Amino acid sequence: MGVRVGPPKKRDEGWFTGLYAAEYANIVRYGLRRLADSDASAELAQEVFVVAWRRRDEVPDRSLPWLYGVARRLLANHWRSRRGAPDVLPVAGADLARVAGSSGADTTVGIADVRAALAVLSELDQEILRLIGWEELTVSEAAQVLGCSRATAAVRLHRARGRLAEAMSDQPTPSPHRPVLVTTREEL
Amino acid sequence: MFGAERTRTLLGPVDPARTVAVAPPPVSAGELIDRAGATETVGPHRRVRPTRRLVLTAGTLAAAVGAVAVLQPFDRSSPDVPGGAGSTAGSVLVPVSYQFVADPPEAGPQLRALAGAIGDAEYDHLRGRYMYHHTKVWGDPVMTSADGRHHVAFAGETKAWQAADGTGSQINTQLEPQYPDRESRDYWQRNLDSRPAVGTSAAPAMIPLPPTELRPPSADPSALRGLLKVEYGPGAASKEVSALYAQFVIPRATRAAILRVLAEVPGFRWRGRVTDRAGRNGVAVTFDDRENDAQSLLIFDPTTGELLAHERLTLSPVRISAYQVILGTAWTDRVG
Repeated sequence: MGVRVGPPKKRDEGWFTGLYAAEYANIVRYGLRRLADSDASAELAQEVFVVAWRRRDEVPDRSLPWLYGVARRLLANHWRSRRGAPDVLPVAGADLARVAGSSGADTTVGIADVRAALAVLSELDQEILRLIGWEELTVSEAAQVLGCSRATAAVRLHRARGRLAEAMSDQPTPSPHRPVLVTTREEL
Repeated sequence: MFGAERTRTLLGPVDPARTVAVAPPPVSAGELIDRAGATETVGPHRRVRPTRRLVLTAGTLAAAVGAVAVLQPFDRSSPDVPGGAGSTAGSVLVPVSYQFVADPPEAGPQLRALAGAIGDAEYDHLRGRYMYHHTKVWGDPVMTSADGRHHVAFAGETKAWQAADGTGSQINTQLEPQYPDRESRDYWQRNLDSRPAVGTSAAPAMIPLPPTELRPPSADPSALRGLLKVEYGPGAASKEVSALYAQFVIPRATRAAILRVLAEVPGFRWRGRVTDRAGRNGVAVTFDDRENDAQSLLIFDPTTGELLAHERLTLSPVRISAYQVILGTAWTDRVG
């Protein structure tokens, strides 16, 4: 899955409509995985596509990583503006609140361990794992979202997986700090 | 070794959004374009608002549907859309955005209110020998790939001039292929060998219409109930309303009567404001026929009560099956 090379195809309303129809749900899901509110996720998705239209000549043919990147930066801006506010959602809480079937089928020890372990990782670790594990991007695509090189993303993934495994083996040690969805200068 | 696949295997089961059904977008793509234009301050893409904006939207929720297409303006090219209408690439049809997506109210009270509020249509002040209709249709027939997964149909445009005795003329024009989903478009663009020569200069043939006894609908509720086959339910009534508006020039009193008859048919839901495929503002009602995995959508002009469009969709997956958009209706003495 390579990055498009060469000029973009026609970027008219028809193209945008197709893009919106094809990827809206993916962007909403991206939001749902990081927010605790479906309305907020829908709003995020709309903002992403507003940006996509304004910058349509920059959108690559394989558009989803680009769109995720926009969503990530919009979320970062949102959280940056709210930094210090007491009601910033813990990522883990957001995720756990949305877990399908938390009342039953998925309450096996293994899955619970993965969730809990993921929750104690840094935001950057979580993000690379989410992009690969949930958004199902390739490492190259995740690198595009994070604005880093493929090699850097691969290393981040490797380390994040290592820390995830470590966190899982440490269960049920509680984390002293529930990470919140804030971003670092490094990843932006 | 921590590869991407292993990461997915480990994290996939705890993905909180994997099984979440995403509601259709609350706003259409066109509205987002407008929003972008309204707030855009710099950049090379200052948008010139087309006189008739594209209609689009998207969506996919079992409860909702309506389908719209990627709409090129039907009557002219927008100034900032290269290629304009009729691209051989074809369009992916996406659902119409409804104002009321979840738990839409019953349509009866709204239809009755609409019936009492409508005004004259432009054609109410016209006279002529012929009833003129300009329609665009899609979905009959639909071509499906051997594996049953990919669908395509060519949009078609019809202009018909028909006198009270049925005689007149009709012009049919085949337009671009349109697809119910992106996968179908990708598939058929690879496999569709004989695309129509969209935009060629060959004039479509004028087809003479034979004499037929036409009986314009009256405003009598009892007669209308029979004509619209309401005893068979909202799906049948939707189809008959569509056929009626595509053949007759319906006067205001009859338009109001039709709305009142539909208001009495149990099953219609009020979807509120929508934008139809031609970029027109409308109000919509739908009927979900879950037994047959289908939804019927009717879009009415909120000021005149005219039917603007009728669409059929499947509910699972949400996918457009067919549409008819009534682009023009008039009385005229001139054919062509």
